Amino acid sequence: MQFSENITLAVRALADHKMRSFLTMLGIIFGVASVIAMLSIGEGAKREAIAKYQDLGVNNIIIREKNLSDAELEEVRARFSPGLSLNDAAVIMDVVPGVDKVAGQAELSAEVKYTDKTVKSTVIGVTADFLPMMNLKVDKGEVITQRQYDERLKVCVIGAGVANSLFQSENPLGQMVKIEDQWLEVVGVLQSKTLFTETVGELAARDMNTDVYIPLTTFLNRFKPTNTLTSQIQQITVQMDGSGKLVESSKLIDEILKRHHWKQEDYNIVIPYELLKQEEKERQIFNLLLGAIAAISLVVGGIGIMNIMLATVTERTREIGIRRAIGARKADIMSQFVTEAVVISIVGGLIGVILGLTLSLVVSSFTDVSTYIRLYSIVVAFTFSVVVGISFGWLPAKNAANLKPVDSIRYE
Amino acid sequence: MLIEIKNMTKDYSLGNDIVVPALKGINLAIDKNEYVAIMGPSGSGKSTLMNILGCLDTPTSGHYYFNGTDVSAFDDDELSTMRNREIGFIFQNFNLLPRLNALQNVELPLVYAGVAPAERHDRAIKALERVQLAHRMDHKPSELSGGQRQRVAVARALVTNPGILLADEPTGALDSKTGEEMMRLFHDLHSEGNTIIVITHEQDIANYANRNIFIKDGMISSDTINPNPTIAK
Repeated sequence: MQFSENITLAVRALADHKMRSFLTMLGIIFGVASVIAMLSIGEGAKREAIAKYQDLGVNNIIIREKNLSDAELEEVRARFSPGLSLNDAAVIMDVVPGVDKVAGQAELSAEVKYTDKTVKSTVIGVTADFLPMMNLKVDKGEVITQRQYDERLKVCVIGAGVANSLFQSENPLGQMVKIEDQWLEVVGVLQSKTLFTETVGELAARDMNTDVYIPLTTFLNRFKPTNTLTSQIQQITVQMDGSGKLVESSKLIDEILKRHHWKQEDYNIVIPYELLKQEEKERQIFNLLLGAIAAISLVVGGIGIMNIMLATVTERTREIGIRRAIGARKADIMSQFVTEAVVISIVGGLIGVILGLTLSLVVSSFTDVSTYIRLYSIVVAFTFSVVVGISFGWLPAKNAANLKPVDSIRYE
Repeated sequence: MLIEIKNMTKDYSLGNDIVVPALKGINLAIDKNEYVAIMGPSGSGKSTLMNILGCLDTPTSGHYYFNGTDVSAFDDDELSTMRNREIGFIFQNFNLLPRLNALQNVELPLVYAGVAPAERHDRAIKALERVQLAHRMDHKPSELSGGQRQRVAVARALVTNPGILLADEPTGALDSKTGEEMMRLFHDLHSEGNTIIVITHEQDIANYANRNIFIKDGMISSDTINPNPTIAK
């Protein structure tokens, strides 16, 4: 008996009991669909995380001032810590091996005004290195240049969100915006950035599109902090050369800063790449759990197949007897029933794949959970469903094949 | 000799070391183109004998030679092949597959014989023509009368050109008129050269055959030539 005959036979047998076949398939359908949907959600989260950390630079170490209350700040200053300063940045550059670039940033929350429009923004004083270090690219105009830095020019590069709120369809380049009591010329507009909503380590989540970047020299010269205890700068971004010594370097940086800050820990050190690795590890366990739950539902689906098939074999004892009497070998009966199980699981698997793809599409379009389907997840789910079909179809098929023709032909 | 049975016994074990002998030393020879009726009351062992003759079962001891080959030593696969090629079963309750139409039922033995679909189709139609049922080949068994169903079963038995036709109470489920038509068909098939073995408990049916064998208590009690077989009309 040929393979194609078996397929026809199986399809016919299943078509004869459409409702029962469908119910049998249901377990496989949901199993495969959930495996695909779960994996796509896991993969979506992973990609989102990678994108998020890439925004912060995978070779970067970020040193950020701690958020201190006024009392705490006084306490720290009383213990002689000057807070983060350009001096810290210079020492890190000098002492720590493998450092490519060090950039200090000073920050200020302020309103940016243009004509009658106002937008709340974070004004950040940066060196010429900073924007390239953070993979920030201009949509129009230019980034902060070394000349603007050196000459303390009153210029700014604005985030896409700021440009939108203040200028709408107008060309922002060359326009003057007012921040506090200073007029600054817009020389560049950044490309829009997808905002991340989760906190990364000690870095609070924020929308980088509302930032305004100006030369650090200009910042320090023109904007005086209201609180005299405020540190000179709020963040130091250290770019390493990619030799992978991020953790060691961060320890060294910590040692240096501790000494300079008189053992006052008024700063946090964040390594985006390390956080990424750590998050990945946690996510892996989570994904494994999701996958396992989905796989269990597939196995339960397989047990459903076995259950129905066992009942079917009893019901079809007579048929088996007739087939044996006219010359079917055990192997023929065996393959007939295994094929039926396989057809159930293949058809169920295909429907499950479609349902799984639909599900993950629905999830990503109606919730803010992002999903991403990789081919391997479809292959894995589908293959697993077929394997389940074969394994759970095996026992009923064996029972069928082992019926004695003498007895089964007279079975009523 | 087409069939030769020597000192054949068959025991059934009921567990607890209780062994029930069903056949106690059968010796039997059947030639090509014989028309034999095997008779006996229920419990006589005639069904057991039929099962062994039909290669559905194997004897406990003794030998069963089919065309000179010792079938009693065959394994399950070899027995399947024997049934497929050499035995044409005709059962009391027809034993057609209800979901297949007449043609598909007749094709089935050829499917297991590995015959290609086109040839299968032709041979099945020929077999159905032989039993005058080609015009109903698209009908399922439930759409056929008892006599027609039995003729489909005969066509299925004939389609592989088997060595013997083995009929188990072939008229048991038919009314007397249809039963007689069936015996007429058997008569014709016999005259065409087929070897026919009918298992029955009705003397009337046995009278159609050329040779009558009686089984009693697992042994052959008589084996006679029927000088005047009934000719079915």
